Amino acid sequence: MRIFSFLFLLLMPASLFCQPGSIGSFSGDESKFYAQTKQVNQFFRRFNAEEDVKGKRTYSGDSTFRDLKSRKKYLNILFDTYNSSVSTDDKNTFIDQVTSKKNPEFLDFHGGDWFSEVSASFTYKHERVDIILYMKLEKQNNGYKWVFSNAYFSRFNDLFAHVGDTTNLKLFLHPLSHELDFMNIHKVFEEPDKLDYYLDRYYRPDQLALFVSEIKNGNLKFETVKEVKFHFLQIPGWYFEVSYFNRNSNNSGWLISNMLKITEKDKKELLRNYIHEN
Amino acid sequence: MKIRSSVIGLICLLIVASGALAQNKDENISPQRKQAIDSLALEKVRDLSKYISIIGNKSTPWSESQRVIERAAELFMENSEIGVSALSRPDVAYYKVREYFDRLMKLNYDRVTIDWYKIQYVSDLERQPDGTYVGVITIYQRFQGFDKEKGLIYEDTTKKDITVYVKRKETQIGGRLIGFWDVLLGDIRVKETSK
Repeated sequence: MRIFSFLFLLLMPASLFCQPGSIGSFSGDESKFYAQTKQVNQFFRRFNAEEDVKGKRTYSGDSTFRDLKSRKKYLNILFDTYNSSVSTDDKNTFIDQVTSKKNPEFLDFHGGDWFSEVSASFTYKHERVDIILYMKLEKQNNGYKWVFSNAYFSRFNDLFAHVGDTTNLKLFLHPLSHELDFMNIHKVFEEPDKLDYYLDRYYRPDQLALFVSEIKNGNLKFETVKEVKFHFLQIPGWYFEVSYFNRNSNNSGWLISNMLKITEKDKKELLRNYIHEN
Repeated sequence: MKIRSSVIGLICLLIVASGALAQNKDENISPQRKQAIDSLALEKVRDLSKYISIIGNKSTPWSESQRVIERAAELFMENSEIGVSALSRPDVAYYKVREYFDRLMKLNYDRVTIDWYKIQYVSDLERQPDGTYVGVITIYQRFQGFDKEKGLIYEDTTKKDITVYVKRKETQIGGRLIGFWDVLLGDIRVKETSK
């Protein structure tokens, strides 16, 4: 029965889906739309086997809810099969781990340890630029909302290119400047582009603060969202990325586009790199 | 058709309303309640699909289109927007709901056909900080634009991800306070699918 269900999902002749009460009037082949992981919500449900092959939600107590064999089959179709960067070995190890009989692992929408990366276009002082926004879910009053957790704009990075530079032997405030009430400090500000030479070598700029400041000052203006990705760190020992694939294929929609076997310590490092925290 | 649709809507509303009284204080939505709310939301999406087909139809008189645009706009929360992107133009263009319908009405084709695929996908409902629940319904539409002489000159299939807001409201009927779940549509993301 389960094998049939899986084949049903893969082959899906359109005629099988003439459901009563459905919206459509068009009888074209829509099998690829059924196969497509249409929403991130569906990615969660398929990952956990919490919906039937037609996409209808199942609940605890339903015969197929979180069924291990169904999960194995669903998980196989949640990978971008056009991409060879995820090895078959890694994929199989991952699927075996999350579908372990003893200790199965599930994705939890409200469970934290996953975040979104939004590539967006802005105009910065009248020039079009790309900025990455990092978003995470935050709980408030028993409800949830997406909040900005960080931003990355290469121009902001350039402003701090010389932080920690130990080769410069000219640009510094001498160690007895305080005896003169720092009267020499004005020299620092005469060359604004070199200000970063004078900063604490361990200072790490807060890109989100700069982003907010530039937006509020009117220097940055939003144009459009270009691309959205999701990074998942919920599964112990693994990191994976989910991206949207808009293609004329059953293997389309929200799929795993990258995956790494990783220790929990390295996970923290990876997270810092992803959100460009130095 | 209109009467049938309204009756189904009313039934859905009553089913949802009758159960709303049994909701516990934290207003968690049970699977049964979710199904009833889904039906109500899908009914609104069906109405929207029907209105889009009428507005886009070149043989619809201008005055009728205006009337239908009014009805269609009533399905939406205030300030809802429609974000459109195409394969050739990936930037998202944002339109207010009425502006989108006006543009649809004025499309420069001699004839258009708008068909809806039967598939529909309904997300879970998530609670927002203000207590309103939000979900997304995904549907697919095929659009064809024809020229009198050249025939079919434009064709696309778009995925429409439609925001659905579900809010608990109360009304007094015969001195009794009746709770019900009200459903309104929100922003819509329209994305051309790959050919």
